[in-house]
Order: sequence, then C-alpha cells, then structure tokens
Amino acid sequence: MRMPAGLGGLLPALTLIGLFFVVPVLALLLRSVTDPAPGLQNYAALLGDGTYMRVFFNTFLVAAVVTIVTVLVAFPVAWMLAIMPPALASVMFGIIILSMWTNLLTRTYAWMVLLQRTGVINRALMAIGVIDQPLPLINNLTGVTIGMVYIMLPFMILPLVGTLRAIDPMTLRAAALCGASPFQAFRRILLPLSLPGIAAGGLMVFVMSLGYFVTPALLGGTSNMMLAEMIAQLIQSLLNWGLGSAAAFILLIVTMALYALQLRLVGARRATGGI
Amino acid sequence: MTQPFLSIRKLRKAFGAFTAVHDVTLDIPKGEFLTFLGPSGSGKSTTLYAIAGFQDPSSGDVLLEGKSLLAVPSHKRNIGMVFQRYTLFPHLSVAENVAFPLRVRRRPDAEVKKKVADMLALVRLESFAERLPGALSGGQQQRVALARALAYDPPILLMDEPLSALDKKLREEIQAEIRRIHRETGVTILYVTHDQEEALHLSDRIALFKDGRIEQTGTGEDLYLRPATDFVAGFIGNSNFLAAEHLETVGGAATIRLADGSLVSGISANGSFERGQKTRLMIRPEAFRLERNPASAELTVDVVDIAFYGERRRIVARTTTGQEIDIRPTSAAMAAHDATPNRRQVFFDPGAAFLFPV
Repeated sequence: MRMPAGLGGLLPALTLIGLFFVVPVLALLLRSVTDPAPGLQNYAALLGDGTYMRVFFNTFLVAAVVTIVTVLVAFPVAWMLAIMPPALASVMFGIIILSMWTNLLTRTYAWMVLLQRTGVINRALMAIGVIDQPLPLINNLTGVTIGMVYIMLPFMILPLVGTLRAIDPMTLRAAALCGASPFQAFRRILLPLSLPGIAAGGLMVFVMSLGYFVTPALLGGTSNMMLAEMIAQLIQSLLNWGLGSAAAFILLIVTMALYALQLRLVGARRATGGI
Repeated sequence: MTQPFLSIRKLRKAFGAFTAVHDVTLDIPKGEFLTFLGPSGSGKSTTLYAIAGFQDPSSGDVLLEGKSLLAVPSHKRNIGMVFQRYTLFPHLSVAENVAFPLRVRRRPDAEVKKKVADMLALVRLESFAERLPGALSGGQQQRVALARALAYDPPILLMDEPLSALDKKLREEIQAEIRRIHRETGVTILYVTHDQEEALHLSDRIALFKDGRIEQTGTGEDLYLRPATDFVAGFIGNSNFLAAEHLETVGGAATIRLADGSLVSGISANGSFERGQKTRLMIRPEAFRLERNPASAELTVDVVDIAFYGERRRIVARTTTGQEIDIRPTSAAMAAHDATPNRRQVFFDPGAAFLFPV
C-alpha cells in the first residue's frame, strides 16, 4: 500500500486525537482556571492546603510503594517465564492474561473477602496459631498495596519478560566462569541488562497507580485517600468542578514530568520498552 | 609429581534414556592444546560443559591436580572459557568486560588496569578499550572474549567452537592468534570443534569423539597416518574405502583380495581378521600414484573426471567393479600424464593402506 504524501493521510488520525484527547485536556485546563472565577485560585487552594497536600503526598507514596513491590514480585516471575520451556510459558502467560481480563471489581472484592478482619487469611493464620489477634490487612496502606500490586503485576511482568528473554543465558554462564557468584552475576549483569524492562514496566505501573480509583477506594482507609478518590469527592459530592479539574491537571503535569525524566534517563527507545 | 594435570575419569552423562557421553577417560598434561573433535551430537561439548560445571555428569569425575572439580560451583572453578556465541556483556565496555573477572575477585584498581592493558595488548585490541561490544566485529568480539577468559590467569582455557560463527579468512587469522597466545601464555587449552582442519592446525593432540565415546586420541599425524578405526580414517582427511576380502595376516601385514580379484599383500591391518572375512580397505586420495614402483600395488580404473585444485589435481575414477574413488596427485606429478588414457593403472603403497572390519 502506498502512503499518501504529506500530512493529508494522517488527517483522520489527527482529528481523532485532537477531538478526543487534546480538546478534553484543554477543557479541563480551562475549567481549572475559570471555575468558579477566572484565576489561579483553584491551584492556590490545592497547593496551599495541608489536607490536599497530604492526599498528593499519599498518592505518590502509594504509587511508589506499589511500583517497588510490583518490581520485586514481578522480577522472579518474569525470570522464570523467560527461562522455562516455551510451551509451559505460554500456559503461564495465559493464566496471567486471564487474570487481567477478569473484572477489576470482582478481583478487588475478592481481596476484601481475603483481607478483612474475619477474612480467610486472618482466620487461617489464627487457626494455625501464628497470630492470636487479626492483622490489620485492610483499610490501610497494606491493603491498598496488596490489592494494587496484584492488579499491576501483569503490566510489569510482560515488558520484563521481553527484556529478559533478549538476554542470552550464555552471558550468565560466562559471568559464572569469570568467577561471578550468582549474586554478583545478578547485580552486575542481569540487573543492568534488565533495567530497560524494569523502567518501562515501572513507569507504566507508577503512572497507572497514580490515577487508580477502585482499589484504593475499596481496600484503603480514609486516612490514606488517593488523588482519584479526592477528585471523585470534589466533583460528585461537592460539585466543585474547578478544584477537581485543577487536581486532575496537576496529576497530568506530574505524570508527564516523570515520563520526560525517564526519557532523559534511559533514552526514548528504552522508555517504551523498545516499542 | 606423577598425577596428570587435568584428568577426566570414566565420565558419563545421560539425558533420560539418551547417553550423551559414555565413560570418557582422558589425561591432559599441563600446557597442552587438546582438541575434542567430532560430529555434532558426539558428546564433545557435553564433556566440556562437565569440566566447566554447567552440567553435572551422571557418573565419573573430573580432577584438576588430583582434586575433584565436581563439587566446586562454576564460579569457583577458576576456568576460562570462550563460547561459540558472543557472550560479552553488552552493557560494559571492552575494557570493563576484560576487567570483569578481576573486579568480581576484588583485585585492586591499579592491578586491574595493568592486567586489562596487558590482555588487550595480547589480543591486539588496545585502541578498542572504550568501545561497547556491539560496535565490534564478530572476530574482534571473540578476541575480547579470549582476553576476558585469560585475564585472571586461569590454569585451563575451554573453547567451545569459538570460530564457528566467523568467516573462513577471519577464522584462519584468529587460529594463528590462538596458537600465538597458547605459545606465549602456556595455558592448557581444551578446544571443541567439528572442523577437522581447525583441529589439525591448532592442536598438540586430538581426541576424536563418536557417539559419546573417544574413538582415538593422538596427534594429528597419528590420526591421519595411523587411524585406529574406519570412522577416524573417514573423519580426518579424505579417504577411499574399497571392499576387500581378508586372506591372511602375518606380523601385522595383511593379504587381501579386492573385488576385481587382484591380490594385495603388505596392507596395515587394524585388528585381527579371519580368513574370508569381509573388510574395507582405506586408501588416502593422495596415496595413489600414477607411476609404478617396485613395492606398489596396482588398481585398474576408468577416469571419469579430472579437476584442477591448484597444487593438486583431483581425479574421479571408477574401479572395474564400479566403485568410485578419489585420487589426488600433485599437479607436478600429473603434468607427465596430461594425455592420460581413459582406462589406466594407478598405484599405491600397501603400507599406506589400512584394513578395517566392515
């Protein structure tokens, strides 16, 4: 097929992006500086208020913790997937993808059942005598982290497997014969070589976590509200569109800044996992 | 001390029902360049991997200066290795690749620097120190791999078909490099290849593998001039096999009857044969002559084709019983026979022909 010359052929795509992505963001920006009156008072209110700032801080804290835990859990899983026989790996991928396709609410409610005071985990631990008081696993940072890590894992595992598969296992054997202990081979060879995958997956998980709503709302507590919940409250309960828009816009700016930073650090090709 | 430097004892490796290596036993003196030669799947790489510690043998032992290596993990075996594929660390510069074995051993910086410089000089890549492996050609990468493998002065260097990914010219260049480095460092080298020429050019000694067993161990000359089995004769160099009936053997010299009915005496017999036993007579293509001499045996052939191969000619001929043979006289010897008739006699020294069981 011949590509039409110039930008003419791209027009439909540009129109679509403009109409559904650029215009709404601009509308959001406009609203945040005009509602209820023109000016930057919405931003001043958000950035000058301790409560709002705590929500911002908490949002980044949760996203950071979730990203770190996801990387720690995903790495060994991705490594196993990368080195296991392809047929078995396909089955494993199927299972992981299947969990992604399962309804988010269902999965989050399932975690509520598992994590609550009288939930499966607490009762099982008490039954075998590991604890005699139920652990506080829900309505706090622990609950949010567990629930969100579970949901984010596939987004970390998939790019990481791609990166790890590209590493020749012989390279690690060579490292071993050079005298590198398994830990040294991991730290000096495997980890640096898998950084692009970790960076790509990590960025995706972090950004998705920043704006996550359902899981924090159901598994988190009131003391660690995240930004998405706050925006929902501002708009739904308080009908404060201006403040809500400003909060959403700040989130967008921060996300874009992070992405730019990552591009700067690891290069454009690597940030997208080489896509 | 009488114990061998490196000793492989009754090494056996089975993968399920398939036995890749059968009771391989071999002693390697210090400083030797020994090549494991054989077709793919003959167990030569598996044996090398057992020495490297990548595969635990099913039974048997590998001893270095009398001490078993089997319980020692790869990273503590202190063995250097160059692999078939390029296994340089892609995120580290050439210098850091070579420095890697020293860095994991926590050697002081000054020593690392000096050693890296020495090693890069050894493989003549001083000016490439700061490049990344991706910016190097295949041959250069293997030379860096060689420098990396030798950086910590390992007593043994393993090489697993290191030149198979390179083109012919580059292969010959690096072969010369490897010989020079062996000479200069005195390191004991175990080299795996399926390329007989490479084995003949490089090695002090060759162990020829077939189906997980060592068929013959010896110098290139031993294997070429005194093959122990027809497999060795067929694998090393070119050979013609003629059907023959054994009549008798006296003092290692056999008398046989060829398919065309002619009798030949004084053949080198490999093993003992019974009267009337069907055997195969092996004659090297270059052992045939076009001139009769008193001791030579003769064979009547029809010439099918003559090709010019530079220093030699290649004659494809057919015996009177229809067996095709390959004859390689020197071009000089051939000059007198340019008008060679279609049917003619060719001659061979019976002592340079070998008898093998079928």
